[in-house]
Amino acid sequence: MAQMPALIPKEVEIQRLKKIWLIVIAMGSTAASVEVDNFVDGSLHQTSIRDSAFTPAHWWLYSHFITLPLGWAAAAIYDRKVPVLRGPNNSINTGLKMTILGYLATMFTIGVNEMWHFWFVEEIFAVPNHWMFNMGVVVAFMGALAYVVRVYARLVELGAETPGENPYVAEMYKMALEGKLYSRAIP
Amino acid sequence: MTLPKGFGSSGAGGASSSDVERMIGRRVENMTGIITLSYIAAWLATFGGTWAGYTYYPWAYPTNSGHFAFIVLTIIEAIGYLFCVKVMEEGSKKNSNGIIAVTLGATTIGTLIISLYVG
Repeated sequence: MAQMPALIPKEVEIQRLKKIWLIVIAMGSTAASVEVDNFVDGSLHQTSIRDSAFTPAHWWLYSHFITLPLGWAAAAIYDRKVPVLRGPNNSINTGLKMTILGYLATMFTIGVNEMWHFWFVEEIFAVPNHWMFNMGVVVAFMGALAYVVRVYARLVELGAETPGENPYVAEMYKMALEGKLYSRAIP
Repeated sequence: MTLPKGFGSSGAGGASSSDVERMIGRRVENMTGIITLSYIAAWLATFGGTWAGYTYYPWAYPTNSGHFAFIVLTIIEAIGYLFCVKVMEEGSKKNSNGIIAVTLGATTIGTLIISLYVG
């Protein structure tokens, strides 16, 4: 695996990466709980067709649209202390940029969604007002994955985590370290 | 290696161990206390949220559903807590298995009592 230049002492970098890792694990728990709430929300909509935004199953679902952006914002702020995670031209990490864009789309669509449901009471997953909502989450998760893999790959490179034995996984880590997990052209 | 302003001796040499400690601040393996408190706070908040659901919106959120959600969420939070402490302490000499066992045991018993007697 290509060695990245060390701009801060190794021990400092490992500690900082693990602090980012703490935020990531907390957000992972949140995301896992929201997966459960997809079923709770689905069962709610089988019994009450269209409800308000403030029923309990929605508190749970919508609270992750607050928790995860705040968590990623915390990661983005702290991330500036780890040089290897910087994006092109010392900008914010590309994965974090995608995550922020995805959640901005989602937050915008929450408003659109409520306006739509003011007139149309159905609750079908595929209605147009949900499109940007769902695509925003997918874009956010894709960016988050690129970022998380990069953090893990760097921890492997610094000897703080175990490298993947599967050659395909190892190749993914290598690409992530070079900032090219999704594109060989855009770092 | 270029160090930030205020670190290292002026001009020459690398980072000394005291410099490294200053740059690190609180080490992750010493964060078990705050991680444990955060887990307990999250667990209490989960109870509060589900309790509010089946107390104020019983037609939309029956008590059984609330208890089910509370149990599942407690399991998810417990796994997150375990990962946090174990990952932060790996590679160090710290070992907080006792704290983890007591915390997880207490929240398990608390979850069972709440699910049986509250609501």
